[in-house]
Amino acid sequence: MLVPVFTLKLNHRINPRMVAVGRFDGVHPCLTAATQAGKVFIHNPHTRSQRLFSSRVSQSAQDSDISLLNINQAVSCLTTGTLAPGSSCHALLVGSQTSLLAYDVHNNADIFYREITDGANAIVLGNLGDIPSPLAVIGGNCALQGFDHEGNDLFWTVTGDNVRSLVLCDFTGDGKNELLVGSEDFDIRVFKEDELLAEITENETVTSLCHMHGSRFGYSLANGTVGVYDRTARYWRIKSKNHAMSIHAFDLNADGVVELITGWSNGKMDARSDRTGEVIFKDNFSSSVAGVVEGDYRMDGQTQLICASIEGEVRGYLPASKEMKGNLMDTSVEQDLIRELSQRKQNLLLELRNYEENSKCVAGCLTSEVDAQGGVIPANTQLQTALSVKAGTESQRPHIELCISTPNETIIRAVLIFAEGIFEGESHVVHPSVQNLSGCVRVPIIPPKDIPVDLHIKAFVGSKNSTQFHVFEITRQLPRFSMYELCKDDTAPRPKGKVTFQINDRPQRVIMWLNQNFLLPASLESPDVTFTALRAGGLLCIRMQPSGEIQLNTDDIDLAGDLVQSLASFLAIDDLQVEADFPAYFEDIRMTLTEVDEFHSVHQKLTAVMADHSNAIRHMLVQAEDARLMGDLKTMKKRYIELYDLNRDLINEYKIRSNNHTALLSCLKAVNQAIQRAGRLRVGKPKTQVVTACRDAIKNNNVNALFKIMRAGTPSS
Amino acid sequence: MELNLNRVDYLQVGVTSQKTMRLLPALGRKATQKVVVADQDGVITCFGMKKGDAVPVFKTLPGQKISRLELGGALGTPQEKIFVAAGSEVRGFTKKGKQFLSFEANLTESIKAMYVSGADLFVCASYIYNHYCDCKDQDYYLSGDKINDIVCLPVENLGRITPVLACQDRVLRVLQGSDLMYDIEVPGPASVLELNNRDGGSQGGEILYGTSDGKLGLLRLTDTSPVHIWEVANEKKRGGVLCIDSFDIIGDGVKEILVGRDDGTVEVYGLDSSNEPVLRFEHKSKTLSESVTSIQGGCVGKESFEEVLTATYTGWLTGLTSEPQHKEAGPGEEIKMSRETQNKIAALRAELEQLQIKVLQEREKYQQSSQSSKAVSAVPVFSINDKFTLCQDDASYSLTLEVQTAIDNVLLQSDVPIDLLDVDKNSAVVSFSECDSEPNGNFLLATYRCQANTTRLELKIRSIEGQYGTLQAYVTPRLQPKTCQVRRYQIKPLSLHQRTHTIDHDRPMNTLTLTGQFSFAEIHSWVVFCLPEVPEKTPAGDSVTFDFQNTFLDTQLECTYSKCEANFKSDNISTISILKDVLSKEATKRKINLNISYDINEESVNHTLKMIHPKLEYQLLLAKKVQLIDALKELQVHEGNVDFLIPEYRSILEEASRLLEEYKKQPAHLERLYGMITDLFIDKFKFKGQNVKTKVPLLLEILDNYELNSLVEFFDSA
Repeated sequence: MLVPVFTLKLNHRINPRMVAVGRFDGVHPCLTAATQAGKVFIHNPHTRSQRLFSSRVSQSAQDSDISLLNINQAVSCLTTGTLAPGSSCHALLVGSQTSLLAYDVHNNADIFYREITDGANAIVLGNLGDIPSPLAVIGGNCALQGFDHEGNDLFWTVTGDNVRSLVLCDFTGDGKNELLVGSEDFDIRVFKEDELLAEITENETVTSLCHMHGSRFGYSLANGTVGVYDRTARYWRIKSKNHAMSIHAFDLNADGVVELITGWSNGKMDARSDRTGEVIFKDNFSSSVAGVVEGDYRMDGQTQLICASIEGEVRGYLPASKEMKGNLMDTSVEQDLIRELSQRKQNLLLELRNYEENSKCVAGCLTSEVDAQGGVIPANTQLQTALSVKAGTESQRPHIELCISTPNETIIRAVLIFAEGIFEGESHVVHPSVQNLSGCVRVPIIPPKDIPVDLHIKAFVGSKNSTQFHVFEITRQLPRFSMYELCKDDTAPRPKGKVTFQINDRPQRVIMWLNQNFLLPASLESPDVTFTALRAGGLLCIRMQPSGEIQLNTDDIDLAGDLVQSLASFLAIDDLQVEADFPAYFEDIRMTLTEVDEFHSVHQKLTAVMADHSNAIRHMLVQAEDARLMGDLKTMKKRYIELYDLNRDLINEYKIRSNNHTALLSCLKAVNQAIQRAGRLRVGKPKTQVVTACRDAIKNNNVNALFKIMRAGTPSS
Repeated sequence: MELNLNRVDYLQVGVTSQKTMRLLPALGRKATQKVVVADQDGVITCFGMKKGDAVPVFKTLPGQKISRLELGGALGTPQEKIFVAAGSEVRGFTKKGKQFLSFEANLTESIKAMYVSGADLFVCASYIYNHYCDCKDQDYYLSGDKINDIVCLPVENLGRITPVLACQDRVLRVLQGSDLMYDIEVPGPASVLELNNRDGGSQGGEILYGTSDGKLGLLRLTDTSPVHIWEVANEKKRGGVLCIDSFDIIGDGVKEILVGRDDGTVEVYGLDSSNEPVLRFEHKSKTLSESVTSIQGGCVGKESFEEVLTATYTGWLTGLTSEPQHKEAGPGEEIKMSRETQNKIAALRAELEQLQIKVLQEREKYQQSSQSSKAVSAVPVFSINDKFTLCQDDASYSLTLEVQTAIDNVLLQSDVPIDLLDVDKNSAVVSFSECDSEPNGNFLLATYRCQANTTRLELKIRSIEGQYGTLQAYVTPRLQPKTCQVRRYQIKPLSLHQRTHTIDHDRPMNTLTLTGQFSFAEIHSWVVFCLPEVPEKTPAGDSVTFDFQNTFLDTQLECTYSKCEANFKSDNISTISILKDVLSKEATKRKINLNISYDINEESVNHTLKMIHPKLEYQLLLAKKVQLIDALKELQVHEGNVDFLIPEYRSILEEASRLLEEYKKQPAHLERLYGMITDLFIDKFKFKGQNVKTKVPLLLEILDNYELNSLVEFFDSA
């Protein structure tokens, strides 16, 4: 049994996912974590004599090993590492919703401080692609930004939604790091510098990512899933009812391969094999785990795995010694193996008994009542399933109907559908009341996004008064674009928004793509079709010229992007140049951009007013105190009343300022999303070009150029 | 002293019932003992251990489900005759496996509990107790509630036969002949009885009992009255007790008490200097938590190493032995050890492979049969061990489901609004599905997807009094061909009430009286419908009284009824109101004319409010304190010390973890109290014929700034 080599009680709460170990003087490792009240604490047990005193750092009164760093803002992410090339000392990087601070703890100096309008939800430090110096990459609202040690903004790109997790990992195996980004739209995106290499769609917000080895990485989702990917192929995943707070790769059993260490919200910590997900070690904390990191914390040349709980309990584990043979748990392997084999034997025996009893029952023919209870059904009962698109009626929203029926007099007692990402939980249940029991169940399904979904259907089939039912298990796939109904009416005006591009493939291939990705009553003959979008309303027209030119008409820019991406991957197109026009959407963005300008000017005005007020406060306070010293109580009272009024004004202004700020943020997010959407309409190189060109246009505040790029897909030349 | 026991698995048989495994007496001193175990397939297996291998002595053919196994023999000789109860028959076997007795007890129901002493045989069906001597009928007794277990005090010491029945209504019944001598109230529904020290102690009158809510106690029975010696409460929320044994595992000359529970826990209690029980050892299997159905102390695996042998629900015989598992031995010996196990594993694997082939063939056959239009598919019913009980401590129901093989998923469906609470012990992923109360009447649809190897699932459910219906659980095990079984549980209108045998008559009571043309059986069935823990069988006699206690508020209810008349007395006006609604509905359903009259005692409302007051005040204070913890901690970090805080705040900081734990233990406690006060308010005026629903927001406002006097005033003035 593996036991911790050290345990610390730090008496400071630790914010989840904000734990790091840094060697700020280049030698001694210090556990660094964000705590309450906008503070960061540094636990430095090794250099007790040297103490730091300054404006930012203060000594904790409770514990002499702990120094506290005042950030004066809620910390949102934190990391440590080498920032300046060639330096042996680690820098501390602290991100908040408005800023990024790079701090040299040893010399007690700011390295740089940057205002970050998009906020910093996640941070990672390291080398990215061909950029020579280490970068601190932060992910905020739809934006990614990378800073070098001088605070220069060397890297910028946009992504689909708010970033929640980042990791650097050699995804392609070319010896250079790619950036993996997990975001709130359930996607893991892989960036080679600013080129998007791959997108992996998961079914919940990606909360953490960690690099395992080679191109393998671990991930965790907000619904309690953790797993391991190798490139875009998932090795394994497990789901727990608890949430994974922090994941980390560490070789705990000393077999030369790292394991995925997960810290859970219920205080459990486990280590799983990277190949199978099998638990090889677990331990329990009394409160939720806040972070899992590693470091040579005892300074004896061995790296320990360090787990910290939110209550400030820290445990360090050494990798297992050779004698333990990789067996870290408190049980004997043989015993467990025998038990498992016996259990399997028992299961097989039970199954065998089931068949025997079944044939006995068949031989002895039906003895009516008893059998009805046991749920006897005709052996040739087969479940039929059908998927169809239903337009909305007055009582029901438009949906996809899954119809499950039995061919005989048996009834369906209940239907369980397990599917990811389309129901509130992971399952949907239909359980008709006794009077409504029949052999046919219709389940309305409304997928919220255009993603292909596997529906794992379990239907309980029996007779009306059975207590035992047969369980039929069927898997059906819902195609990606299932919420679109074929529209027969060709006279309707086409939507104004459109994208046009040229492919070098036969129309048959496009027809094939249509048949696979849309839910159609019958196979299509020609690639010219019109659909009604059931979710958002509006039409979608697809036209293909004999020359290979394809035109998609829709007002939904997201849908157009999804279609282009799906078609390009189906036809294996690497680079695709697209011309696009979405008049309504572009108009919205134009408005948003003007709003951004307004918000900016309001912000400046408010800042100026605030400066005035703070001068006035100083002035009034001096006057009031003077009056008090002179004994002129009347004036003093007057001044203090004025001060009170001013204070109230300030609070009001603060509220305005913060409202203004949130509005500004949402506008900026919309702008970032617009760039991302414009990018998604293209594939490969043209995509990267569009994103960079848009960014330049925004930097130069050239709105017309921005729209030109979005339309043409190339920087104006 | 520290007790260190290691787990060893011996053998797996079929699903076992409670108390169906015993150790045969050893032949010489310190020799290993043979194990005899009976399962629900009707097979009795007797085996001994030789060099780590289970060597069978005998094994009978499958038959009817065996519900009990006891050892007997002429008094004064080794008790090595084996008696089993299967259906309504008792069979006897010698230790070699030769059947010498087959006795049909002529009961209409199957035997639930059995005890053997010399030539005396005691058997119990659900409500009936029978005593036979030399297979001749002697005594008979009809119990008021279900009988769970039976023992007979040793005849050698007392000179007469004194059977003791453990009954579901929280009572032990002591009999003399066919008559009840006296009954003893115990803190929970007793599920198992055992003689203390295996012989009833020095005077022969000491009985150990375990309850299905996890309590344990020792009683001394004298001729006239019982003496409670000690009692162990279930503070750690362990499972219910299923089996008890006395055995000296430590080797200090005093027998310890071995306890097996239905959540897989095995405990060893020793006695301290003041003869109070102390927990010496606890074993909780981390991977498997199945009911421990039988427990015995003895020597099985290896000579001169004492051990605790357990049988579990799925039929595993597991020893907790004092033999150290990793011996200090040379490297050579270590290899030999593992070779033995390797052989065992290889044999198992080979067996598995053969089985697999056979199963594949059968599977094919089964698939083929699905082509034919005449064939039917009938899969035998698998057994589910389930328990649905009210927990007194937090006034919620706990539902445990246990299946022989791993559970794949469980679907819960309810036609009444109930809350599902999270249970730390279960690791299954729960998912709530959208439900449509119209037209299908679902208020809860939830699926539990179980992790691999889960054979037992524990759920917690919170009900609301007055709302009643059925909870259904569809259990699907991981077994081909896939089937699922449904289990139904009634949520009764007064679901939070519990049987009690002591009632305080000084409280101000409200009375509800029913008269009409109904039979005794009818009114009894209505009471069964309304209240939990009432026996389904109509009691003997002309009239009957049942007393209940509300587990949440501690208010009480007394039901007295006979043919054509029923009386319900409670100090809680809401209880009376619910009863009135449900009973009149039931009567209308059966077209029976009922005269309902009630006598409302105004004082009772204030009395109930005063009873709620300390609970409410405590909860409010707790909530307030918990709210402050985070802020105070922040201050502490900011200022570096807590000297500047007032003592009250300082004490909150000191107690922070305890407060948080307490707060976590009782989720939504405050909301439930509020709900009950609101019900009380509405019900008070309902009896006056006023509808005060519009005043409820006002009441909630008063509750937000709670003070007993203002609340009482509001109740009086409104």
